Amino acid sequence: MTELDTLSASFAWRARDLEWPVTTEVGRGLSGVVAATTRVMWLDPASGTLSYRGVPVESVAGRWSFEQVAFLLISGRSPGDDGAGFEAFRERLRSSRRLPPEVTALVRDLDPATHPTRLLRAGVSALGCWELGADDELSGDRHWRELRIVGQVAGLVAEVAAHRAGRARPTVDDRETLADGILGAVTGVAPDRADGDLLDLLWVLYAAHGLDAPTFTSMIVASCLADPYFNVVAGLSALCGPRQGGASEAVLDQLAAQPGPEHAVEWVRGVLSRGGRIAGFGHRVYRMPDPRVVILRRELARLARRRGRPEVFEAALALEHAATAELAPRGVHVNINFYAAPIFALLGAHPALVPCLFAVGRMAGLVALVREAIDDVRLIRPLSRYTGPPERRVGSASSR
Amino acid sequence: MIGIAAPASPQRYGRGLDGLVAGDTRIAELDGVAGRLLYRGYPIGDLVAHCSFEEVSYLVLNGELPSPDRLEAWRSELVRWRRPPDRAIEALARLPRRAHPLAQYRTMLTVAACHIPEAEDSSLDAQWRRPARILSWTSALAAAAIRHLEGAPPVGPSDELGFAANFLLQSLGRTPTAAEVRAFDASLIVQAEHGLHAAAFAALVVISTGADLGSAVLAGIGALSGARHGGANQLAFEMMAGLADPDQARLWARAALARGQRFPGFGHRVYRCPDPRVRALEPIAEELLSRRGLSERWQVYLALRDEVERALGPRGIFANVDSITGLIYHPIGLPATAFPIPFCLAIQTGWMAHCLEYLPDGAMIEPGAVYLDR
Repeated sequence: MTELDTLSASFAWRARDLEWPVTTEVGRGLSGVVAATTRVMWLDPASGTLSYRGVPVESVAGRWSFEQVAFLLISGRSPGDDGAGFEAFRERLRSSRRLPPEVTALVRDLDPATHPTRLLRAGVSALGCWELGADDELSGDRHWRELRIVGQVAGLVAEVAAHRAGRARPTVDDRETLADGILGAVTGVAPDRADGDLLDLLWVLYAAHGLDAPTFTSMIVASCLADPYFNVVAGLSALCGPRQGGASEAVLDQLAAQPGPEHAVEWVRGVLSRGGRIAGFGHRVYRMPDPRVVILRRELARLARRRGRPEVFEAALALEHAATAELAPRGVHVNINFYAAPIFALLGAHPALVPCLFAVGRMAGLVALVREAIDDVRLIRPLSRYTGPPERRVGSASSR
Repeated sequence: MIGIAAPASPQRYGRGLDGLVAGDTRIAELDGVAGRLLYRGYPIGDLVAHCSFEEVSYLVLNGELPSPDRLEAWRSELVRWRRPPDRAIEALARLPRRAHPLAQYRTMLTVAACHIPEAEDSSLDAQWRRPARILSWTSALAAAAIRHLEGAPPVGPSDELGFAANFLLQSLGRTPTAAEVRAFDASLIVQAEHGLHAAAFAALVVISTGADLGSAVLAGIGALSGARHGGANQLAFEMMAGLADPDQARLWARAALARGQRFPGFGHRVYRCPDPRVRALEPIAEELLSRRGLSERWQVYLALRDEVERALGPRGIFANVDSITGLIYHPIGLPATAFPIPFCLAIQTGWMAHCLEYLPDGAMIEPGAVYLDR
């Protein structure tokens, strides 16, 4: 039996091996509970380390493409060490962006004003009907390993974005990265190199982050041996809620409400004194600044300059400093959404579209963790304790 | 699920959260030793004998059986939502017939979810307005998916019929007999809730993010679709359908037992004893099969059950609910590939009840993982 010291954030755990059963404290929302062992990623809230398969995220951010990081996360191999494997992976990823016309038609039938995550979920579900027949092996393991779904989600997000904008989706070009394909659909024009690289970087930073709700939901569903489309539909369902999907919108609204950098301090104090919250602050896992923030702060500065909108960065930076001064003493720090939201906006994405864009990156970590859950071959199922009424009998209807 | 264990309480558990008590619930009591299942204190056998699915769904969701007034209000609320958005049914035309019926059903639900009222309202009041709509929309969409299997067009609802009868009308395209309605209603009742199984847990994780109740149900359906969870009623029926008579069933079972084969529809993680849902449904299935002149099929089931339980019962393996529901669905005329769908219709009641129980102070469910260095 392994004894684990429970930290308020559970990802501090790192071990050579884990012997089940374990004993831990069990907190609200199952914090402190070990739901899985993983070789995919490590997130250390104390040192601010996030690493994918042992590779610190800072060392790949900006150097590796999202496609390379996805290959690392899912296969566990470095694209440099397995060039042929990576080429095949990338080819499959890109070509799976082509969707059956019926799936496109199903998405296009829906009201473009519907929340994009719901459109994406309907598209993934329809795709599953085309990919897997009733006679196919129910676990769908073969398809899972083909990893088409990562590319398919990217294709669908492009379709949803174009539908929302009332445009046709640009033709899929297999020489084009996932990021360029989506940016083209979001903005309606061919993206420049720097924008494509920036979306790629966002996806690299968002690729895996522990057992967040979409990932954990997919893992539970996968543990029942459901096929990947059932898993991903379930995972996207966990993205439909405002706690997961609405963060970006709140950050942008907050930036729009800013009276100007010189008033940031008063503004923050005003919000806090009225019992309000500062959007883009606070994180379940980190008790220190999210390490990904350092990278995105720098990127927002560059992007804002390129767009000729330096005031966007200045407003964000002033707000971050003002809020940190108030909140850091309480252990509340800036999180990744604080800078990701204005970056998504300057890249041309409507805030409602952000959860979909986020989903493309997170698919890499989700697929990797789900594959581990399948290999682990164990149903995820906790118990509950019954505290309801004692046994009783049904009376006649008239006595109720 | 309520009253999640206080932070300072350590627990010991295994892989897959095995043995972890995630929280308290006031909905169902499962007794895996004595073989009892109670909803809100009422044994399911009692509910099958005295109540309709409408009453039981009200009980599971609200905690008490409805007074006549409340039952009337709940019934009319269910009837009010019997017409799902046309788009959701039209989506079927965009899907290949060879797709799994549960996947087609799922797709209709995802399309319907693009047309729900107050979609982004995750207040508790809005969530409580959802169960009636979800139960009735899914019933109509499930029926359309089942008819699509045969290439038949959807059938409209009848507002005069109860939940079970209307579902059968819309699935079969004919008015069901009283015996069929009673049997199907009983199958809905005994499968309306089953504690915090994997699908209910998946639904809880989704609701804990602030998503709408329909999104939670979709996650539950995903878990249920898996071979390890919900597809077993179809497999169990197909296994029995391949056996011509009781003698063949016995011989085949003995040979399969000798090979160490596993039997779909037998064994359960909770029940190490006869499954209470089986005991509640057996007399109903037997009567329905005999009315249909299908008594031979009942004899095959008994022969198989006795043979397997004699060999494996001492190890705690008994027929579970998946072995018996097919013997109700089949004589009614539902196709075997569609069997997981009526299970979904029933069990989502329990998922919704768990979600609504969790919501008032529900923290986001986000457990951790241990990173292995090697």
